[in-house]
Amino acid sequence: MRLKNLGLVVFLVLLLPVVPDARAAGGTPDAAALVKEAIDYYRGAASTAKVVMTIHRPDWERTMTIEAWTKGTRDSLFFIVAPAKDKGNGTLKKGREMWTYNPKVNRVIKLPPSMMSQAWMGSDFSNNDLAKSDSIIDDYQHTVETVTESDGHKVYVIRSVPKPAAPVVWGMQRLYLRDDRILLREDFFDEDRQLVKTMTGSDIRMLGGKLFPRIWRMQKAEVTDEYTQLEYRELKFLPDLPDRLFTITSLKNRGR
Amino acid sequence: MILQMGWRNIWRNKRRTAVILVAVIIGVWAMIFMGALMRGIADQMVKNSIATLTGHIQLQDAAFRNDPVIEHFLKAPDKLAPVLGRLPADARWTQRIRVNAVAANARHSDGVVLAGIDPGREAKISFIGDAVYQGRYLGEDDLNGIIVGRALLEKFETRLGHKLVLMSQGADGEIASRAFRIVGVFRAELQSTEKQFVFVTLPAAQQMLKTGDEVSEIAILLGNYRDAAAVANSIRAGITDQTVTVYTWQQLLPLVSSIMKMYDGFILVWFIVVFIAMGFGLVNTILMAVFERVREFGLLRSLGMKPRLVVAEVLAESFFLLAIGTLVGNLLGLASVWLLSGSGIDLSAFAQGMEFAGMSRIIIPVVYVRDVVSADLTVFLLGLLISLYPAVKAARFTPVEAMAHT
Repeated sequence: MRLKNLGLVVFLVLLLPVVPDARAAGGTPDAAALVKEAIDYYRGAASTAKVVMTIHRPDWERTMTIEAWTKGTRDSLFFIVAPAKDKGNGTLKKGREMWTYNPKVNRVIKLPPSMMSQAWMGSDFSNNDLAKSDSIIDDYQHTVETVTESDGHKVYVIRSVPKPAAPVVWGMQRLYLRDDRILLREDFFDEDRQLVKTMTGSDIRMLGGKLFPRIWRMQKAEVTDEYTQLEYRELKFLPDLPDRLFTITSLKNRGR
Repeated sequence: MILQMGWRNIWRNKRRTAVILVAVIIGVWAMIFMGALMRGIADQMVKNSIATLTGHIQLQDAAFRNDPVIEHFLKAPDKLAPVLGRLPADARWTQRIRVNAVAANARHSDGVVLAGIDPGREAKISFIGDAVYQGRYLGEDDLNGIIVGRALLEKFETRLGHKLVLMSQGADGEIASRAFRIVGVFRAELQSTEKQFVFVTLPAAQQMLKTGDEVSEIAILLGNYRDAAAVANSIRAGITDQTVTVYTWQQLLPLVSSIMKMYDGFILVWFIVVFIAMGFGLVNTILMAVFERVREFGLLRSLGMKPRLVVAEVLAESFFLLAIGTLVGNLLGLASVWLLSGSGIDLSAFAQGMEFAGMSRIIIPVVYVRDVVSADLTVFLLGLLISLYPAVKAARFTPVEAMAHT
């Protein structure tokens, strides 16, 4: 009898790590945890990537290849490797601060607050989108709106409303998270709940050892023929990257 | 007797006299009226600039003016309290924070000047006190409210109650940002002011920028702006701290003070131009009057009138013309200024062009006694001076010449 009980306890203990994972339990999962998981999944502990960024406008289009290193949500480093004209232009982000490096003048410039809401390298992403990428976790309250099905996966539609005093410009965001932690889509709304812009992930495939949307597209809501697309050519997830990679010196030296 | 002769002589040819009188009147009127308009523009500009967060005197950190960054804030504004306590009774003062910031909402972002104000004190010093026309003014401990200009509101496609995120550099060198709710909308004389300034309370700005009790400036408004230099000197004498600098509005607004000087020059040039046009008419008229009376002047000379008196007689004619002309011109000029003093000249249609020069939408002419006096003196003295030419001519006619003249 005692032994039988013990066996049950051992069985329960073995089960414990699994139970908090709400998806397995089938109830309504905690939205904040879902978002955090998705961001962590998407960011990994550290990563290196080669991305082709296409900025599309009605009368022109331009493409550049970017090499990127990221570590957690706080540190990242980007360099343009092609075209030759822009080669060596770099951006370093540490926490919520950003620096840019221009090889032509051999100067590192710390982005002042005035430039934070401007477009990053002429794209539809703003500097803030990069610098405040952890804002979605810290500054918002999340609730699961609905759960839908897509390609045999559950998709959680999460409504993220900024906390009252949070310094964010959006009135609301809506996240579409697949049950395997992949962020499918992020909608940005203004305070009148009008859609301002949308980021969508597509072409989900194995990248760097896990399923990952290979193509990301940021598009303003009112226009159809203007967008910025990020296409991952290479992506590697690493357990860690050295801290010295994310320094101003490294920003300077690598760009030269 | 000379005066009587002069008076009678000018009315011998009524039409000619009337024509030259009209010329003098219009000239004097133009001098006074245009002078008053220019003064009105300049005065309004000074008033606007002083009310737009300048004040008559400002206390700042010595380095702030050249490099208005957060590191150059006034370190311990409380220490200046004794000096401010000794200000004249009709002077008011306030402390404020003024930094460049970026305002952003979901669709727009733009550079603004963030003004952290003490709502109660600021209302009595700046335009903002009675400029809020929608919503409400800031309360004393309003930590999230923000007042924006009408033009900014339109540009950002937002409205009362909506959020505006401000970003600037904090005292720790990091980016400081904070969300505010629009509680009020203000109207200003200039659209650029409406776009430029956003107002929050001083504690809110200090919290956002993490500056403790530091402020960027202390502004003082005096009862009379002419006392600025004197009061500034007495403040300077009372401050031992070398890092604090006292500025008067003339130093704070170098552009405005030099424009004021430029207007002085404009007005002088204007007077001279009008006078030259008028003077030629006057000389011409008197000269004509002299030449058609050659025989008469010959007669007077032969009767024994001294040349001096002939000169005096002709000058008397010119004196009457000028006297009547300036008198009526002055009255007309003052009357038209008075007519416009209520409503002013509304130039809203050209507001954007006018704004470029920092001018108001409405010009209210202002009469400076000094301008009127100098206009009158210019016309009168120079008028008499140039009339000497025909007068001397008249005195030179000899009876023999006059007889030969037909």
